[in-house]
Amino acid sequence: MRVCTSAFVLLSLTAPFWLGGDGAAEETKAKTIAELAAMYDSSSCKECHADIHGQWLKSLHARSIFGPEAVGRTAATIKTTIENGLKEWPESGVKTPEDVGVKHLMICAKCHLPQLQEAEDSVAREIVKNVYAFADNGDEQAKRALESLNIGCTICHGRNAIVHKWTDGYPKKDVVYGSKDGAHDDPDHSVMKQSKIIKETILCGQCHGLGPNLELDNPTQCATLYGTHLYAYVPEGGTKTCQECHMRASGLGHNIQSYRDPAMIKLALDVDVEVQALQWRDITTMTPLANVTVALTNKAGHSIPDG
Amino acid sequence: MTAKTNDGSVFYNTEKIYMPTPQQFGRGDKMGRGPYEKSGMLRDASLPPHKTVKEQFSIPVYTDATKDGKVVRTLLANDFTVDVEVWYLPYGKKDDPGNAQKWFAVSKQMHIEKGGK
Repeated sequence: MRVCTSAFVLLSLTAPFWLGGDGAAEETKAKTIAELAAMYDSSSCKECHADIHGQWLKSLHARSIFGPEAVGRTAATIKTTIENGLKEWPESGVKTPEDVGVKHLMICAKCHLPQLQEAEDSVAREIVKNVYAFADNGDEQAKRALESLNIGCTICHGRNAIVHKWTDGYPKKDVVYGSKDGAHDDPDHSVMKQSKIIKETILCGQCHGLGPNLELDNPTQCATLYGTHLYAYVPEGGTKTCQECHMRASGLGHNIQSYRDPAMIKLALDVDVEVQALQWRDITTMTPLANVTVALTNKAGHSIPDG
Repeated sequence: MTAKTNDGSVFYNTEKIYMPTPQQFGRGDKMGRGPYEKSGMLRDASLPPHKTVKEQFSIPVYTDATKDGKVVRTLLANDFTVDVEVWYLPYGKKDDPGNAQKWFAVSKQMHIEKGGK
């Protein structure tokens, strides 16, 4: 309860940014990692949704700019993006890591931290400082700072819950978007609204995407899953959504996993190996052979691997 | 895939990679590595959804020599093992437990008959 109370106080002290009915910015941008984390803090959700929150904590969504617990590969890749990309590109405006601003980090943060759009460049610089501190020295404090930023409840059930904003309206800060309408017992999110896409693949497709992000000044390409889902899985007769396999069939709920989880591996691929030893014969020359046939059947709703 | 005799000597080792080959900056013939330089695809050898990809391997269980102008093949072993593994390797090498994931492994005991002609 202490955690929840603290989170509520923190939320009250900061000025959350959200889009109003016309899509215009209503409030101020975050100036620090702590402010941005507080704007999208999900800790109050666990008071009533402890199981779901516990599941989410195990997922990579809970550490979306740090990456897997043991290795922090996402943070390492952000550093590589700066060193081998931004610093080398003549028109990027980045000569040193200190030059990195929000617009630069958005080439990763579009998906790894979309709420960074609601932050000032000082937050981008703080993230970069922590990325280098962890990547170069294994700094645990830096790791914790990076892990405080994530794809939490208020992203999928708030900020990113509406894709067609002219059709369905812009997401509102006091609304939590889920499976039904009604009141919601949370002072910061007092309204519950049914999301049209919470169970649809397009919700995930916003980030697990189509391929090159051509809207960026310098396009990046991380995920192609939604692309192979639309253009390879569906034409083969596939009808399942991301949520059906990754959340329900897997039994993992909000611990949304992929290639690291045994349940997902079992759902994704069948491997059949048949062997036969034989001696092929050409007049008097015997040729002993082992013939092996390996059949790999991709049962997933997308190509394997992503990329 | 590895084939080895019962004393552990490996006489066959091969691998096949299934993955897309992203195009660097959406131009030319170079593969892009990091997400920051990938934009497009030169080739897609990933495993397609709802499809079965079948691979056939023919492992020679012999050594070749020439004697009196004739090819002579010597059997390596009557009994041997074929190991098949499928790895998901997004980054790094197989000995990197933080990244590499072994998805499947099986060992098949195999036998070539003795005698006869």
